[in-house]
Amino acid sequence: MSLMHPFHRLALMLLCIAAAPAPAQDRYSAVAQVTNSKMVKLFGSGGFRGVVAYGTGVIVSPDGHVLTAAGSLLDTPELRVHLSDGRRCNAKLVVLEPALDVALIKIEGVDDLPYFDVVAAASKPLAGPGTWILGFTNCFEIATRDEAMSVQRGVIQAYARLPLQRGVFEAPYTGEVYVLDAVTNNPGAAGGALVSRAGDFLGLIGKELRNASSDTWINYALPAQARIETRDGDKTRMVTLAEFVTLGIQGKYKPSARPEKSAGDGGYHGIVLVPNVVERTPPYVEETLPGSPAARAGLRPDDLIVYVDGEPVISVAAFRVIMGRTHAGQVVKLEVRRGERMESIELKLADRPASK
Amino acid sequence: MRWMAALIAVCWCSDIGAAPPSLVRDAEAKRIAVVEKVRPAVVAVFANGGQGGGSGVLIDAEGFALTNFHVVQGAGPTMQCGLADGILYDAVLVGLDRVGDVALIKLLPKEKGKPFPFVALGDSDKVRAGDWSIAMGNPFLVATDFTPTVTFGMVSGVHRYQYPAGTLLEYTDCIQIDTSINPGNSGGPLFNDEGLLIGINGRGSFEKRGRVNSGVGYAISINQIKNFLGHLYAGIDTDHATLGAVVRTSESEDDPTPRILVQGMIEDCDAYRRGLNPDDELIEFAGRPVTSVNQYKNVLGIYPKGWRLPLTYRRNNTKTEILVRLEGLLPKEEAQPTRGPRPGRPERPQPSKRSDEAMKLYKAKTGYANYHFNVVARDAMLGRAQAQGDFAGLTGPWVIEGELDRKGQRQPFKLTIAEQTDAESKSTKTVATIDLAGVIFTLDPLKANIDPRELRDPPGSGGLLMALYQWHRLLTLGAKGFEAEFCHGGTEPFYPTEGKPGRPADRRIDAGVLITEHAAVRGKWFHAADGRLLGGEVWLARGEDPCEISLGDLKESAGRKLPHRIDVTHGDAHYGTLIVRSFQLPKKP
Repeated sequence: MSLMHPFHRLALMLLCIAAAPAPAQDRYSAVAQVTNSKMVKLFGSGGFRGVVAYGTGVIVSPDGHVLTAAGSLLDTPELRVHLSDGRRCNAKLVVLEPALDVALIKIEGVDDLPYFDVVAAASKPLAGPGTWILGFTNCFEIATRDEAMSVQRGVIQAYARLPLQRGVFEAPYTGEVYVLDAVTNNPGAAGGALVSRAGDFLGLIGKELRNASSDTWINYALPAQARIETRDGDKTRMVTLAEFVTLGIQGKYKPSARPEKSAGDGGYHGIVLVPNVVERTPPYVEETLPGSPAARAGLRPDDLIVYVDGEPVISVAAFRVIMGRTHAGQVVKLEVRRGERMESIELKLADRPASK
Repeated sequence: MRWMAALIAVCWCSDIGAAPPSLVRDAEAKRIAVVEKVRPAVVAVFANGGQGGGSGVLIDAEGFALTNFHVVQGAGPTMQCGLADGILYDAVLVGLDRVGDVALIKLLPKEKGKPFPFVALGDSDKVRAGDWSIAMGNPFLVATDFTPTVTFGMVSGVHRYQYPAGTLLEYTDCIQIDTSINPGNSGGPLFNDEGLLIGINGRGSFEKRGRVNSGVGYAISINQIKNFLGHLYAGIDTDHATLGAVVRTSESEDDPTPRILVQGMIEDCDAYRRGLNPDDELIEFAGRPVTSVNQYKNVLGIYPKGWRLPLTYRRNNTKTEILVRLEGLLPKEEAQPTRGPRPGRPERPQPSKRSDEAMKLYKAKTGYANYHFNVVARDAMLGRAQAQGDFAGLTGPWVIEGELDRKGQRQPFKLTIAEQTDAESKSTKTVATIDLAGVIFTLDPLKANIDPRELRDPPGSGGLLMALYQWHRLLTLGAKGFEAEFCHGGTEPFYPTEGKPGRPADRRIDAGVLITEHAAVRGKWFHAADGRLLGGEVWLARGEDPCEISLGDLKESAGRKLPHRIDVTHGDAHYGTLIVRSFQLPKKP
């Protein structure tokens, strides 16, 4: 046994070297500096209540392709980015993928930028729960020009499908995400970088996501390995972030159909709601189409739809999503507020009338 | 060799099951040691009779502690503070920085002279995003035994600028952290991973739709506080600064790198008199490059009013460096009419017995948070100055002879400062006379209907005779010689002109300031830490450049250090240098 002892010690030493994590008290200023140089501040449309006109993006090619979250921010011909060295540049939307809720933009007139190799990151194994992470965002528009991104630290709590529940969580991406214990998902943070403590790209920080029933917020990031099946006409198609970035940079990416369109194919009800003007327009009935199931069931203008099959309906948009999942022949039970009273109304959905 | 593989496998398993790797344990042990070290100095502040409060931190053994202005706001001059030893101490307000949201308070020891635990100040300019930080304090006033709560997190950003939130309260050049800070953490310390004080926690982004923790908090950098510390110790209600210029970012599309340009200027300010004009490009301010409007505001926001700092600007491809005096930010406070108690209203409750001791350390005066500490700081500074040379009572004739060097041209001078007794009224007054190669200038500041030009003699000096007259008065009469003002003015940088043509930053000495006023002339006198008088400025009128004297080449004679080189500057011009050959002072009175 005495012979084995040195080996034992050697083995332990080897283990210590192999398993040595970065000391928990290392400073991450060097990682922060390098990561910051691969990121941009975005300035686009917005600025009205609840929708901010700023965001974050990660550079994914040396000539200025930037991966960010899809959103109304990009909905402008005057998209601007601020690089980490303070340069202000124009940018244009290249392509967006609604199923992943991401967009690719291109900064004009730049080259040789430091960037994240998202495709290489996507080929690595997923980071497990408990993994240490750093989040880099321009939350609250704290930084402009050459000012650095905000860095936050935390741990991946889970790799899980977003707990999407109609009317409670609303997010266009329904695949698996990293759930984080850091408060990363603030206004303007979407499109930020989630990196390991070595500075390796792990994912793209998501949008603000609030649980409408508990008024709590969830912090999540789209993994570099993100993939989701979408419907493309009659066929299903696998969409991946790596493919989006690779083909997007080459200008060859074909986005999947917008989910709103496919969601529109529900059973026919004949309800016309008020125009959807704000983020959460209450679902008031504007009119019912003559001869439609809604008209036959006695739904009236100014009725407020509160529940569909016991599920709360918070907005015009939510009503459309819910009804998009129905089919002809299905019976749907609505609870509506009419004046000071609640009314129960049953609709038997029909086939869409042929357009004239 | 198979047995070895098996052994390694066994070791591997046993290691997994055992304690975490030593590096983690070491880091944890280090963190615990740091917390243990600084914890005794963390203060729980109870203002408003326990109704409100926050946190603070002791920074010296005498019990001086930093906290937020908004913690002590409305609390009156006294408060109570708990330390981790579980004891509640009386405390008194010392100094305020309302714009910067900082207050200095002093805890009273339970036994006279017993030292308090305190923490060392760090250098917040060395803090980087990605560094660790430790916040301590009393969030939600949760600890009834005053044991501070510790939170640990990351520095998210440095040199952050936060717009005033509806008030004058502006956070400039602050440290952004993801370390949890909650209501009650206000005023508490932010430490680096070595336990050095790098900031005072002050503000969280709580505004996000009622959400309490948004992962974004702000601490006032300790380096900003260091700039104000001399003012705070002197009991001053301090003010921040403005340059007198509005700046903008150049927005040329073919010029992606921003340039910061002066947009407009107040003409009645020092920067304008020093030559800064609209459309000049700011390059560097107080030693920091100006790359954005936020960075400009960051630099400006960390200095008290009245400070003189170097500024570099570019005009037509020529860079120029100037020294600029910063103007005040807050509107001049009107003297408050004293209000008597209103009829029909209950009397304000008398302060409790406990705070009687603290009230002994409080004196109200307009412009001061607590004038008592101004007197203490002023007298301490004068005591140090006196140790360098005691001139008290030596009012009788001073005769100083030597040569005046003006751009290499030398001429003899003879300065006489002497008391004269008026034959009719029997009152005495001091008259200064300088003989410059036969041309004689005389200054009698108290003379009726004095010609304003006389006050500024010799011509071009901006009032050299007045400066020397006031200097003589300061040394010989002290407080008695200045009927209108004689107070400590905090700390300011002083730039001696003695034979050093280098950049201002290389000449800078941080000096204690004495502010005087006699015969409607204001003076500023700069003292080194050891009490040496470095120089002074004498202001004949507001909005006009002062006459500056820089006192160099100190030589000791009869236990007194006397300057043998006096550099005289007015505005941008160096008027000349008095090379002193001899001093004749009166014998002891």
